[in-house]
Amino acid sequence: MLDEAGRALRDELLQVIRRGAEGPLDDAAFDTLALRVFAYNHTRVPAYAGYCRARGREPGTVTSWRDIPAVPTAAFKEVTLLAGGAEAEAVFRTSGTTLGRAQRGAHPVADLSIYRHALRAAFATYLLPDRARLPFLSLVPPAGDVPDSSLSFMVTDVQERFGAEGSATFADPDGLDLPGLDAAVGAAVAEDRPILLLGTSAAFIHWLDQLVAAGRRHPLPDGSRLMDTGGYKGAGRDVPPDALRQAYRDRLGLPAHHCINEYGMTEMLSQLYDAALADHHAGRTRPPRKAAPPWVRSVAVDPETLEPVPPGATGLLRHLDLANIGSVAAIQTEDLGRVDEQGLVLEGRAAGAPPRGCSIAMDLILRETRG
Amino acid sequence: MTPFDSFHLPALPAGHPMELMTAGRLKCRFPAPTAELIEQTVEALREARRTLGRRPVDDVVEAVDRAAVRLADPGDPLRQEAEDGVGRATGYSPAMTRLVLDRMTADWRAPALRRLLRAELGDPAALDRFLPREGDRRTRAYGPGLSFHVFAGNVPGVAVTSIVRSLLVKAPVLAKLASGEPVLPVLFARALTAADPGLGAAVATTYWPGGTPEPERVALDAADLVVVYGGEEAVASVRARAAFGSRLVVHGPRLSAGLIAAGALEGDPATLARDVARAVATFDQQGCVSPHAIWIEDPAGDLTDRFADALAVAMDEVERVLPRGRLDAAATSTIHQERGAAELRGHATGTTRVLTGDGTSWTVVVDRAPGFRPSCLNRFVYLRPVARVDDAVEALAGTAAYLQSVAIAAPAELWGDVAHRLAMAGATRVTTFDRLPWPPPEWHHDGSGPLQELVRWVDLED
Repeated sequence: MLDEAGRALRDELLQVIRRGAEGPLDDAAFDTLALRVFAYNHTRVPAYAGYCRARGREPGTVTSWRDIPAVPTAAFKEVTLLAGGAEAEAVFRTSGTTLGRAQRGAHPVADLSIYRHALRAAFATYLLPDRARLPFLSLVPPAGDVPDSSLSFMVTDVQERFGAEGSATFADPDGLDLPGLDAAVGAAVAEDRPILLLGTSAAFIHWLDQLVAAGRRHPLPDGSRLMDTGGYKGAGRDVPPDALRQAYRDRLGLPAHHCINEYGMTEMLSQLYDAALADHHAGRTRPPRKAAPPWVRSVAVDPETLEPVPPGATGLLRHLDLANIGSVAAIQTEDLGRVDEQGLVLEGRAAGAPPRGCSIAMDLILRETRG
Repeated sequence: MTPFDSFHLPALPAGHPMELMTAGRLKCRFPAPTAELIEQTVEALREARRTLGRRPVDDVVEAVDRAAVRLADPGDPLRQEAEDGVGRATGYSPAMTRLVLDRMTADWRAPALRRLLRAELGDPAALDRFLPREGDRRTRAYGPGLSFHVFAGNVPGVAVTSIVRSLLVKAPVLAKLASGEPVLPVLFARALTAADPGLGAAVATTYWPGGTPEPERVALDAADLVVVYGGEEAVASVRARAAFGSRLVVHGPRLSAGLIAAGALEGDPATLARDVARAVATFDQQGCVSPHAIWIEDPAGDLTDRFADALAVAMDEVERVLPRGRLDAAATSTIHQERGAAELRGHATGTTRVLTGDGTSWTVVVDRAPGFRPSCLNRFVYLRPVARVDDAVEALAGTAAYLQSVAIAAPAELWGDVAHRLAMAGATRVTTFDRLPWPPPEWHHDGSGPLQELVRWVDLED
């Protein structure tokens, strides 16, 4: 739980979140909140304070969210980044291994209510712009089975909050129940009842491979949609996003704007989504972009200097997530992408490169995905 | 720009279709890797062996020497092509490329090769005729009928050294180039052909994407010696497909380290720091001989920070004379991630201190936590203070599966004992920091004799 000052800040943020993921928050208002969250992170997380001091960027001298020192995602593996005095209501962990011993990133969450409100607002905006009530069929193990997975927490929460009767989960920590999923999807098709599918890209690739092998298709009823997330870990092969979209169309009859990729990470309590469905519903058009809720801002930085690159240029993505009140809001990722006034384009990972020489590389450490 | 021809194939039919690939910033052209092309190549190499087998080993030494002279001569167009092509493919700075070419070609000169032959075989004439041995017999050493080399990585010279070892035992060479450095072996083969066409005909080298089934099946079926460089997956894949009865020589990824005894830090640490900085900087730390971490015996806890400061000065100095090469976004991103994580660890626990050069050029992390952490490389080194030398040996023993060279700086009377303990922990080479990047040609590469592991001894009991 957060202390009194943290709760006051949380309540202000919740006001913003309640206005929705497309609600207003102009630059000045964002900066004001960002600098207050920064000051709070700085006083409550001593390691972060030292990190900021070493950079000469501290509350009082920083005037824009872009100048707030960002902590690398790798630091979550090393250091507990939790507001001092707070007790974590949950600890979410990344999956990953290293030379011989498990070393996983940990994000202790001081106040789950922020996470709940943030994830629901963004999910509703980008997956349910029409406020549809659909059965949610999930390929993500339920939160009860995997209490340290932020993704399981999120999927279980939206399933309970927004899912209609008939919602079900076809995964547990041991694996996927694809026959069960097939039966449920087949029934929905037979009854002409639209559904919402949720899962990791890897899980969907696995399922689509089986559908292809069996020569089967599920022509999903109109209004059906799909949310996928994460890398392709466990899929056994890489599938480019476009090819995956094509497979969703071929096997499930889903148009591209009904297939929404979620971009999130254990280290951040907020998520970004493809804006296609929300745009489609609102009659807007824009090139393919991920959209952030107003309480998150992103910038691409130069991989060598870590200085912001011009809008539209490719760089390492850095996010400022106001929902991270209880840890550190500014996160330096290893994701490559570009950011312009229309949104964000994800271009891949700048990590886990194979060894160039004949030395053993630390690539095992770098093989991280969100758990 | 015209693509570089990343192949040397004595039996390449005219008009064979070509394919393209890009190595770093070098566009390369290679023949479509058909089964038929490799079959014809194998046939040509077998033919070349009939002649090669009858020639004295000194012919090989002389021809390799002449090729090395050209690759070492800054005035020779072949050397210029090597500097340009290797630089583009690997991303190494021009100064680093020149240094590596200078040091590697020295290993292929006649005196070095003769020393290697003597160290490995006693009398090199054992490759030319049956020599009297202990007991009532004579013996002669034969190389394999066909050696197939699968290269990996981008450290220039490693592949050529592997080719030279096979040629010295009169084995024809079929080599699959690494996409990281598809230049130097080709230029070497061209120089060798110019020096001695008969010997040049015994070397065939080309590129194809790793795991391409057809050319590899033909090569693995034909070879009776397979030399494979690469990671676990690549090695396992080759091992599974190698012909029954063929010999496999594996050079997997390795890890090296350093160890400084308190006694070596009594005076001014500048000289030692310079040697350590060079060892870290060479090959931009991507070599199997590059140290990931240096342990420092520091019982009172007052030596490491002083040495770190001296090392920082030396790393800056090395950056001036041997600038680090070009890195991709993944590599620089990883350096930033590792630096930031180490800094935050330091602020949280007081166990780390991070020193950095301009941009991502170099990083020294003093890490007082026990254990070992692999470096992300590209001039990023850990200094790990320990109370006793044994603590370092124990931490290193945890890496035994990968451990190769350990450089030590210690008073002379400690060397034998420390070397023994490091060997027990898995090291196959104990050396000084200045020699660490440059093992001699006759070194027991990963613990085996570089020529001994290639030859078959034949006894003649007449």
